[in-house]
Amino acid sequence: MLRYIAKRILIAIPTILIVSVLVFTLQQLLPGDPVLTLAGEERDPQVLAFLREKYRLDDPIPVQYFAWFSQVLQGNLGISLRTDIPVLTLILSKLPVTIELAIFAMIIALAIGIPTGIISAVRKGTSVDYAANVVALSGLSIPNFWLGILLIMLISVRWKLLPASGFVPPTEDLWLNIKTMLMPAFVLGTGLAASLMRHTRSAMIGVMRSDYIRTARAKGLLSHVVIMKHALRNALVPIITLSTLLFGELLAGAVLTEQIFTIPGFGKLVVDAVFNRDYAVVQGVVLCTAVGFILMNLLADVLYVLANPRLRHSR
Amino acid sequence: MTDSVATATAADVIDMAAQRQSPLLQVENLSIRFDGAPLGINVVDNVSFSVAKGKTLCIVGESGCGKSVTALSLMGLLPTPPARIVGGTANFGGRDLFSLSERERADMRGNQTAMIFQEPMTSLNPAFTVGDQIIEGILRHRRISKAEAKERALEMLRRVRIPAPEKRMRAYPHEMSGGMRQRIMIAMALANEPQLLIADEPTTALDVTIQAQIISLIRRLQDESGMAMILITHDLGVVAEVADEVVVMYAGRIVEAGSVDAIFEDPQHPYTIGLMGSVPSLGRRQGRLATIRGTVPSAEMMPKGCRFMPRCPFADERCVNDAPPLAELEPGHWARCWYAPLELHRGGIV
Repeated sequence: MLRYIAKRILIAIPTILIVSVLVFTLQQLLPGDPVLTLAGEERDPQVLAFLREKYRLDDPIPVQYFAWFSQVLQGNLGISLRTDIPVLTLILSKLPVTIELAIFAMIIALAIGIPTGIISAVRKGTSVDYAANVVALSGLSIPNFWLGILLIMLISVRWKLLPASGFVPPTEDLWLNIKTMLMPAFVLGTGLAASLMRHTRSAMIGVMRSDYIRTARAKGLLSHVVIMKHALRNALVPIITLSTLLFGELLAGAVLTEQIFTIPGFGKLVVDAVFNRDYAVVQGVVLCTAVGFILMNLLADVLYVLANPRLRHSR
Repeated sequence: MTDSVATATAADVIDMAAQRQSPLLQVENLSIRFDGAPLGINVVDNVSFSVAKGKTLCIVGESGCGKSVTALSLMGLLPTPPARIVGGTANFGGRDLFSLSERERADMRGNQTAMIFQEPMTSLNPAFTVGDQIIEGILRHRRISKAEAKERALEMLRRVRIPAPEKRMRAYPHEMSGGMRQRIMIAMALANEPQLLIADEPTTALDVTIQAQIISLIRRLQDESGMAMILITHDLGVVAEVADEVVVMYAGRIVEAGSVDAIFEDPQHPYTIGLMGSVPSLGRRQGRLATIRGTVPSAEMMPKGCRFMPRCPFADERCVNDAPPLAELEPGHWARCWYAPLELHRGGIV
């Protein structure tokens, strides 16, 4: 098992290297000049030249890349061109917000997606199944920003139940923090719940047809034991993998949802940085996101093996 | 015929009389239908048979003739929909299985009745150890402690001759061979000492050498426990070895039924005769093995007369138009053929 994990980590290293190259070069293709943004209204050629010199923007791109990446390896993601704050500090200040939102959204997604998936698999072909499928399909097709705006209008503006936007750190006021997180987490969670439900349903339907389910019933086990123990235990394997990957996506930040609810997370950070041509921040955020996503993939692989006795021994 | 055979037949008749008095399981006029099949075409059609305590009934026939569906219906494991019991009763220990509630059926499954299946490779849950899977079935039906259940499971593993049972208790199914897994299935099925074991082609998926081992294991366990067995198979060699009674099924109907001696000594239905012709035997080489032409007709193509008619070498006008009844040719020996008893027509067959 340890050898397997070590092997997966080794495989992740070249992936991260490739991602770093991509992040760096794709950004060079973006239109716009960071120096112009930085210099603002004054376009004094001397200032521009000084800035170019300072940030070594005239060096060939490979040189710039190695300069940047060697710093990254030392834990220095550079300094925001816009705010003069170290990128790492910026990221570390936004990361907890995004993680909190992701966890909330995931809990909502799992709490809705898995039970409805199980019910609709067990009641396959009945009106319950069709209803669940219609709801899931709407969940998949309703855009997050629309649902978000609708919720704000209804719950915040009309019923005045929850704050429409803003973010309060949990250290400041935990209850208010949860209240501000509820709606965005719900918006994100329902979108994911739909795909979790579909996957749970198809995994359960496949498993319920297997011979060992017939064996479990032949032992006289009651149907809730057959479903919740024998079937779910096997259907969970692909669901765990999917959930971990979905969580990785959530960590990348929910750009639109964060924008609507003005939550200062990763998504908002990267959007602001792109608009401001804040190269260092964009690079840092995207790199962090990519590493986070790769780590989630790694976790998914490990969990998959742990949940699967057949694989656990052979690795 | 020699005297010994005649005596055996007489003994069987007495046996069957005893059996009629107190069968463990009596199935009468069982009909099962698949949703979507043409009207009036049942996958199991008016099937009746009985199993006496401690005896073995073999149900024989090709794939698709309704053997497994019959067995699953007796266990209450029919996938409904699409399969539906549309008629008949199954009296087991004084109660009609088909009129019990789902809960009552579940209480019987793995307890009074147990079943083993054709596919040992996929019949065990890959996510749990075999020990857990056996213990689970014991705890479901017995009010004993987990430690006692574990002890019982170990004893069962020893009885099915699993080497190093303590170690095997903690093994996962994928760590075992097909033969081993079938032994586990048998241990699991017999853990609660059922009165009736239904074995649905338990050796079909196994190597030939393992097949014999599993059959003799089942035989031995049956002798030890005195349970009755319904063995579903298409292996007539196995039938000759273990059966007391034989039911031959074709396209959902019983075409011949009787004691094992009657069926082997004096087969009356062309299908039974055809099946016997397909069994290779030592010391008798007469060119190619005989086969029965064609395949079992699908529900849509079911002939209106005798269902075996399209494949029967003796079929004539009457067979095309009218379905023959299951007629009792001699006490305890039934066949569904216009030409039975075949003695009258022997010249044309052998």
